[in-house]
Amino acid sequence: MKKLLIVSLMLAPHIPAFAEETPISGLVQTRCLITTDTNGVYGNPLPSKLSTASADGGVVPIVRYDVTLADSYLAKITTPTTFSTSPTLSDSVTWTGTTAVSKTSDAGMSGYEAAKVTYGSTTQFDLTIAGSTWFSSESTAVYGVSKSFVGGNYTAIVLAECIAK
Amino acid sequence: MRALLLLALLPFCNAVAHEMTPTYPTFSKSFMDGISVTTLSIFNKRKDVSYYEIGVFTDEWEPIPFVSEYTIIPMEYLDTVSFDVYVSNLSLSSVEFICSVSQMQAGATVSSKICSRVK
Repeated sequence: MKKLLIVSLMLAPHIPAFAEETPISGLVQTRCLITTDTNGVYGNPLPSKLSTASADGGVVPIVRYDVTLADSYLAKITTPTTFSTSPTLSDSVTWTGTTAVSKTSDAGMSGYEAAKVTYGSTTQFDLTIAGSTWFSSESTAVYGVSKSFVGGNYTAIVLAECIAK
Repeated sequence: MRALLLLALLPFCNAVAHEMTPTYPTFSKSFMDGISVTTLSIFNKRKDVSYYEIGVFTDEWEPIPFVSEYTIIPMEYLDTVSFDVYVSNLSLSSVEFICSVSQMQAGATVSSKICSRVK
């Protein structure tokens, strides 16, 4: 029995292996991926105010940008200036909004916040480093002069753009 | 207990995404004289979006006439769709951006727009 085992062990390396190689191929292209990490929710701290700030009971929307090539894209984020759905409003709404870098995947991206350019309700960031960047956009809507918002559902849209340079 | 909490939270961490490639498309001759074509691809990982609108623009964001199978592309969740963009050679030198914009459905709060650049 022992002899048989030794002989079979000696022969083992000479037994051909019938294996197929199955390739897995992939292509990494230069790309920008916009991901909505958190949908925003308006809090209603005062009858005349809707705000996404957590201090006001809201949820700040967070958008993540993934870029695979450094210095190829601009991120432009525009906070709302109108409701996409709302009850009929008879008075004007005053909008304010700010967008900031909330998290980065690379320490080198720490300069994004200081280098951002804001015009109107749009904030532009130059994505000079490959990786992921999270942006949070706070939005506030104030109705008339301390007027109470009409009861109903309100929705406003943040526009996240990724423009090739 | 920790794992249970994580599992309970997972449904609320539902990331949704929009992607368009390539970043720098190039036009080539099409099967018709005087018309050039390029191919792009959109990946829809947004459950809240079923349509993406395509646009072709100059460097001043003026729209340029183009032809594609769809101007508004219907897309299922996790679909990847490749599409051809045909542009007249007369306006080819003015083409700077080809963009896709998510078409919002009720309840969506973030609209995404990705623009490739023709260099």
